[in-house]
Amino acid sequence: MPLGTLDRTPPPFFRQGHSALTKLVFCSALALFLMVADTRLPVVSTLRVALATALAPIQRGLLVPVEVISGGSDYLRGLTQALQSENAARSQLAQQAERVALAERLATENGRLRALLELAPSLAVRSQAAEVQYEAADRYSRKLFINRGSTQGLAVGAPVINEAGVLGQVTRLYPLSAEVTLLTDKDAAIPVINARSQQRGAAYGGLAKGSAMELRFVAANADVRVGDLLQTSGVDGVYPAGLAVAKVMQVERQAEGGFARVTLSPAAMADGVRHVLVLEPLSVQLPPRPAPEPDAVVKPSAKGRKAAGAAP
Amino acid sequence: MIMPRGSDQLLLPANPVFIALSLLAALAFNLLPLGRHPAMPDLLALTIAFWAVHQPRRVGIGLSFTFGLLMDVHQGALLGQHALAYTLLAFFALGLSRRLTWFALPQQALQVLPLFLATHTVSLIVRLAAGALFPGWSLFVAPVIEALLWPVITVLLLAPQRRAPDPDENRPL
Repeated sequence: MPLGTLDRTPPPFFRQGHSALTKLVFCSALALFLMVADTRLPVVSTLRVALATALAPIQRGLLVPVEVISGGSDYLRGLTQALQSENAARSQLAQQAERVALAERLATENGRLRALLELAPSLAVRSQAAEVQYEAADRYSRKLFINRGSTQGLAVGAPVINEAGVLGQVTRLYPLSAEVTLLTDKDAAIPVINARSQQRGAAYGGLAKGSAMELRFVAANADVRVGDLLQTSGVDGVYPAGLAVAKVMQVERQAEGGFARVTLSPAAMADGVRHVLVLEPLSVQLPPRPAPEPDAVVKPSAKGRKAAGAAP
Repeated sequence: MIMPRGSDQLLLPANPVFIALSLLAALAFNLLPLGRHPAMPDLLALTIAFWAVHQPRRVGIGLSFTFGLLMDVHQGALLGQHALAYTLLAFFALGLSRRLTWFALPQQALQVLPLFLATHTVSLIVRLAAGALFPGWSLFVAPVIEALLWPVITVLLLAPQRRAPDPDENRPL
């Protein structure tokens, strides 16, 4: 038998390390600790950020083959399609020019009216374009990862939209990427206003395995019809008002508990989204909340007394 | 060395570099942005189970835990979900390692199916306990696909060890 056929280092006889059961118990306990501490301890989120930063170059690299395959098919389909899409874009641009003119006229008019009524000027929203890296393969949630992060000045809680409407909200921030929780995720909620009836409400995700939303706490006799457009109401200090959120898909008035069961289909479907716009959360521009009254009275006096006691 | 009855050949020692490369390739496949399918097989789990069965001294529980953490961060899932599942997978695969190689490949696939099923069930239980919704029964197609891939991955990853021990001009590989 030639040399090199067998493993030349025999297994160690005495020093075998810890037993598999010990390792299992240790690693399982560590995993359980991480699960509990994931959202609570800052140390664990630092670990997550470190691992995400280490993974980022690999993820960027792996985007290339997928893009080459999808881009290659576009390349092969050729000139006619490019011309078609250019024509479509031009006609869309023409339509938008009309809308822009209208919007400008309305904005000046609105400015004059606001001045007339002596209202505070409405908030301007700063935005940043980003590209979707990938949709999280997690089966239990709906999340996207975008290629902008805290280095580019994104903030946690920033709304993310595309041309069709609101997509979701930035929930985790890494140096070079950010995690966007979609509106259809189970834990997502957004305050909305019905564009037709001007009724306010709150829409929640998590219906139909993460592809639909639900308008909760709607009275059984409320004025909601199939096809109604729901927009952001802007009362939450996060989303600017007037962005399209969803359309009413189905209204069941026979539901239990005196509430109607309203199913919504989101305006911006996350499948196949490439480019998104990350807005700055409105709360950054809003004036700070006034401190609650009793605290405001007690604290300065206590401080004053301490300072008075310490001075002499 | 006891030769498993089913195999007709003594295997060459496994190259640690090849083991590392195969694990990294499986991780890279899992990181590919292919979208979100409930029945997507987890190639990394498959590769970890394979090496834990065939090279229990080189690939064990600690390594599986680390790979699990990486998958958690990549998917934006609960931190520790994949880590726990891979840890348990590696432990039971280590337990199988002395028995499994005595069987033919289809029978091996049948024996690792409960292993993968348990891995996915652990993930499911963890997420349900954390408050997620049940994603549908198509979830349980993934372990079946993984078990069906077991013979394929065995042939692929054992190929370097099945080369001739004395390559010459007529037999370069």
